[in-house]
Amino acid sequence: MDSSEMNEGEIHQIDSDDVIKEEDETENEEGEDLTEDAEALKAELAKIVVHPPSYEQSLMEEFDQAEFSPSYKDNLPKENLVLQYAENFRRQMVQLYRDRKPLFLNPVNECGVEKFVCTTIRPTLLEFKELYNWDGAAEFVADYLNIEPLKPEYELPKRLISPSTVLKRQKGNCFEYSTLLCSLLIGAGYDAYVISGYATKETCLADESRDICPLLKKKEEVQEEARKKEMKKYNVKPPRDLRSKFELKQEAKKEAEKQAEKEKQRKEEEERIAELEKPPPDPYFGLRIHAWVLVLSGKREVPENFFIEPFTGLSHPMDSSNYLGIESVWNNVNYWVNMQDCSEGVKGLSFDLGDSTVWEFMFPNNDKPLLKIPDAEDDLNDMDDDEDDEEHEVEKYLDMPPSWVDALKLSHRDFQMRCPHGKKTKVYKRAKLEKFAHYLMKDGLISRLSVYEDRELTDLMKVHEYYAHRSDKLTQKLTNHRTGQVCENFDPGRPRCLKEHQFKSSTPGPENERVMIFYHEARVDGLVKREETQTEMTEEYSNRDDFLFYKYVEFGKRAKKFGPQETSSANKGRPINKMIQKFHRNRNKPANEDIAEIIFHVAEDKIHISYHTEDVRIAASTREFLKPPNWDEKGAVLTFNPEMHQTFQVDPMLPMNKQVELYEMLMELLKAEEKCRNEVRDSQNEVRNILDDRTKEEAASELDISVYDTERNEKAKKHRRELERQQLEEKMRKQEMDIDYLAPFLAKIGNPEKLSKQQAFSLKEECLADLKQRLIDKANLIQARFEKESQELEKKQAWYQQNQVSMGKEDEEEYLTYCKEAIFRIHILDLRLTRHKEQAPHKYMQLEQKLRNDERLSEFF
Amino acid sequence: MSRLYDTVEPAVIDEEMLKKAVEEQGPKEEAGKIAKQEGIDFGDVLSLRLDFLNILKIDNLWEFTKLTKLQLDNNIIEKIEGLESLVNLVWLDLSFNNIEVIDNLDSLTKLEDLTLYSNRISTIENMDSLLNLHVLSLGRNQLTDLENLRYLRRFKNLKTLNLSDNPFCKQDEYKQYVIAFLSNLEFLDYRLVDQQSRDAAIEKYQVSRDEMLHNEKQAEIKKEDETKRQQELEKHKNAYVELMNGPDLFEQMYAEDKEGQKLNEMPGLEDQLHSFKEKFMQICTQIFDFGIAEHEKREEEVKSFWECVEEAKQDNKRLGMVHIDEFTETKKRMLLEMSQMSDHKMVEQYARDYNDKIQVLWDKLMGLELQLVDQLEEVIKEFERNMQDMVGTFVENVQALLSQCRDLENNHHEKMMEIAIVTLEKVIKNELDDEISDDLKMLLVDKDTIINAVSSSHDVHLLKIDNKEDDIVTRINQSLKNLIEQIHQDEEITRNRMRVSEINNLIDHLREEMDNLEVMQN
Repeated sequence: MDSSEMNEGEIHQIDSDDVIKEEDETENEEGEDLTEDAEALKAELAKIVVHPPSYEQSLMEEFDQAEFSPSYKDNLPKENLVLQYAENFRRQMVQLYRDRKPLFLNPVNECGVEKFVCTTIRPTLLEFKELYNWDGAAEFVADYLNIEPLKPEYELPKRLISPSTVLKRQKGNCFEYSTLLCSLLIGAGYDAYVISGYATKETCLADESRDICPLLKKKEEVQEEARKKEMKKYNVKPPRDLRSKFELKQEAKKEAEKQAEKEKQRKEEEERIAELEKPPPDPYFGLRIHAWVLVLSGKREVPENFFIEPFTGLSHPMDSSNYLGIESVWNNVNYWVNMQDCSEGVKGLSFDLGDSTVWEFMFPNNDKPLLKIPDAEDDLNDMDDDEDDEEHEVEKYLDMPPSWVDALKLSHRDFQMRCPHGKKTKVYKRAKLEKFAHYLMKDGLISRLSVYEDRELTDLMKVHEYYAHRSDKLTQKLTNHRTGQVCENFDPGRPRCLKEHQFKSSTPGPENERVMIFYHEARVDGLVKREETQTEMTEEYSNRDDFLFYKYVEFGKRAKKFGPQETSSANKGRPINKMIQKFHRNRNKPANEDIAEIIFHVAEDKIHISYHTEDVRIAASTREFLKPPNWDEKGAVLTFNPEMHQTFQVDPMLPMNKQVELYEMLMELLKAEEKCRNEVRDSQNEVRNILDDRTKEEAASELDISVYDTERNEKAKKHRRELERQQLEEKMRKQEMDIDYLAPFLAKIGNPEKLSKQQAFSLKEECLADLKQRLIDKANLIQARFEKESQELEKKQAWYQQNQVSMGKEDEEEYLTYCKEAIFRIHILDLRLTRHKEQAPHKYMQLEQKLRNDERLSEFF
Repeated sequence: MSRLYDTVEPAVIDEEMLKKAVEEQGPKEEAGKIAKQEGIDFGDVLSLRLDFLNILKIDNLWEFTKLTKLQLDNNIIEKIEGLESLVNLVWLDLSFNNIEVIDNLDSLTKLEDLTLYSNRISTIENMDSLLNLHVLSLGRNQLTDLENLRYLRRFKNLKTLNLSDNPFCKQDEYKQYVIAFLSNLEFLDYRLVDQQSRDAAIEKYQVSRDEMLHNEKQAEIKKEDETKRQQELEKHKNAYVELMNGPDLFEQMYAEDKEGQKLNEMPGLEDQLHSFKEKFMQICTQIFDFGIAEHEKREEEVKSFWECVEEAKQDNKRLGMVHIDEFTETKKRMLLEMSQMSDHKMVEQYARDYNDKIQVLWDKLMGLELQLVDQLEEVIKEFERNMQDMVGTFVENVQALLSQCRDLENNHHEKMMEIAIVTLEKVIKNELDDEISDDLKMLLVDKDTIINAVSSSHDVHLLKIDNKEDDIVTRINQSLKNLIEQIHQDEEITRNRMRVSEINNLIDHLREEMDNLEVMQN
């Protein structure tokens, strides 16, 4: 493409303008001679007042130019070249495809400088691991920014703000969203593009109130294919079916009819609802401009092309009905214009960007695979070479300049705040989702999903709340406002290993309907689930050594007490009517001795046992004991007689148990009953404790802060500061250590580079003399103190001698203590003096030695 | 320690003594009272203490088959005996007796704790079967030979050992020797063996210990190989083609054929003999491979048969249990209702209903059982047919292959005959170059003799092949017959009888229960 072509385009454009003018003139000429009809028409027309199109100048936000780096305010020569080239491209496009909408090529940036869109993309990989995958990055962009809709919605924006500024101001239009997201995705290695095109009103305005909330979408349950019974060679034949076939057929027919009827009704209902929910017709349908992101397969193990809607952060398939057309596509390297028909939306569009019949590229250094001609054909070789040469020249000429945008920066704190001010609310179909930044809410709430019955969001059905960092490990809370049911989920790590707690909000107290599910792996007793109603309690266990897996308790009513209410009665449990324990089969015992079920009929003083069924049998042995009448007396001798026991043994050949064995069995059972009862009481207490804990936790709602979170963890912060301080002190001390003892003397003679011998000697002498002086001074000081102290003591003694007679006891004592102290002090001073005298020569010698070895002086000694 | 036992009258373990001991050591208090009334079976006793009774001879303990703990300390027992039937014994105390030889413990394989403290034992021996031994006390005995302690290496679980006060304890290296050679020990002579002393001891006896370990390992490997070989042979036997993968049959043919062996020395026969052997072996290998393949097929068949039978039985059992459970639920409900009723007539009505229900249950259960019987019968028949087919093809093929063997033998025979006659002629003409043995010369005297010799050799060979065939065919048929009979017996007759008696027993019990209830209410 050279300048001559460009000129042609200009000329052509001018020509077409002229034609329009001429047409206008002819119209005017026709209007001069008027018929009556025309007169009337004119009067009619005069009523219509045509205003000049008033251009609604949206007040553009002004930016402080000072805070931008020069690349924002000016263009490099290369950038100018590219801009010219883009302008040329635009003109050609306009000339060739007259009825095409303008392309989004050279918008101004926040400093009012024209920039080419490809250079606005700044591929960046930020340090947050959530941003490494496309879904995390898309969600982040959707959360982090606020939406500014295009104004007007059918025109391309005049300005495209750089992604770095967008990150700072936390809002932007769809082009800015897409550019930022594209920067992040390309930085993370995806093959991503910004698409400029058309979309539905809902998409452009990010109106999701007709979509089902993604959190509410049911995960498609992987339906396990019913395992087909393997047909083996010797499978037995099923018993013959003796029912009438005709009747069966009739029944099946009826059933099918019913089913069809239901299906029909359901469909009708669905259609009706769909009709109701249809959005109102949009006058600008197909004209609304939108920008979104395209990710092509190939890089980062992306198996299939898909779109990402930047406003919601969700992916859309290639045939999504939300997108109505595509004008152009670009990334940081090239710009492609769609040459395909978009009358049916984006369905069926080819995204083979190398195919120049469907995508008109702007720069020839297209890194997309062109339609490849097999290299094997030798006769084409020469031609290829020629083309290659040309291409080389072109490439030199048209290299994309580097992005003018500053590196994208995102502080850890901002990343954690996610949304502007840490809060964001989204409205979906019959649902509202509120998001909060971590640690923003006092109770650790991070998101709340409210589900409503109606679309106007007035009739609240249920609320789903998600928490994080709570010290009570609460992660989710589901409140059903219809039934009053509350379901709380917890992470592992609570003192009683609670995993899930379901109860009615109206009756949160103990001894009411509730279900508790536990992390049974962490519990000593292997409790999986505890279900309670007002009069019953069922517990399920797993993996126990005693093979217990089920326990059921039926409570009676509390006996009403007359008279003054005792405080202890509240703690006393309800009477137990019946307890059932069930056990798994213990293969180490014969089936006839392995208990499958014990029923303690507490109210009837009976114990019923069923044993497991032997492998070859269908019936199980049972046994029933009547408890001795005095069983609950302490220390009583329990008697036993054969009438208290009944049994049914499946195998009549087995010998009957001996009486002693039965007696011992009964004793064991009584113990087991006692144990079971205690366990039930313990369970009740545990429930009470858990509920108490929950109330306390709910009131306190403290948040845990990780020790690695240096921002928030006060203690860690303190600790770090302390460490820093210590380090500093250490450093200071080291510096002090290094103080040079020769420095003052060297300074005296003016820090000469090299010492003469004489200087060195005098330096040494001086240094030693100084030390001597100091030692003598110190000795003198101690001596003086010693003398002073002795004198004072003498004085005091003299004074005492004089006034001894007239003194009171207190004064005398005072004097004595004084004497003691003074003598002590004198003694100490004496000691110090002697020590000093002893050490002084040593110190002197040491210094001398040191000076001798000092590298500055050593050469002279 | 020896006591002057002849000053006191030695006691005999008699019924009175045992009874007394059992009662004294049996259940206490109320349970004891009941036990006394009822009498205690010696067979139920789990532990027995017979100490300080001056017992000379262990006897009359054969009734205590469940015994796990037996204390016979502080007696004057001289010989271990009479313990053969106490196979459940875990704990045996024979300390402070006059035992001289360890003996007669072979049946006590469950024994974990054996105390022979203060006896007169001079060798450790005769304990090969006590592989579960954890604790062994041999203190204050007459053990003198440290080498003898290596006997204890076979007890892999031995953790606690007491050897104090034996003559060899005076030797300096005693302790280290024991620790080095019994390195699994945790306690020796009342003390914990710490890692330090263990290391030191092992270091000291490094060389001999390594040698010993090496030998043990070799022996172990050898043993393993042996068992592997045995298993392989067993498998081949089950396939009825054992030893067919080697030259066994061929060798057998010549084993009892002295003339054949002599004839084989004839000159010019080597090539012939070689190719004959090769071909013969080939066919044998074919038989072997075929036999193994067929065997695997049959195994597969049997396995799938049992799987299906098991499945059918399980299904049936499940249905039966469902019926019983349903009935139990109804029973509970009805009994509850009946107990609340006062009207006599209504109660009777209920009782009748209940009896009807019992009848219905019986019908259902019996119906299920009959259904199962039918199903199993059919399946078993089919299985039988298939198995017979398979065995038939196997036999046919083996026979065909063996007849190939016979053909080979016939060919060989003809060739032998030719060579024999040629050789004879040569001998007669004295043209033979090679020296031949005297035995062969004896045969090469005239035509009749040599022909007779060759034919008799041929006959022996054919006989061997026939025998092999007979053996295979009879064995496979026999085992098939046994298997089918077994299945008929177990799966059809025994199972059915057991189930029917079980159902009847249950129904009787239910009826009885009802009758009792009625009686009580009346």
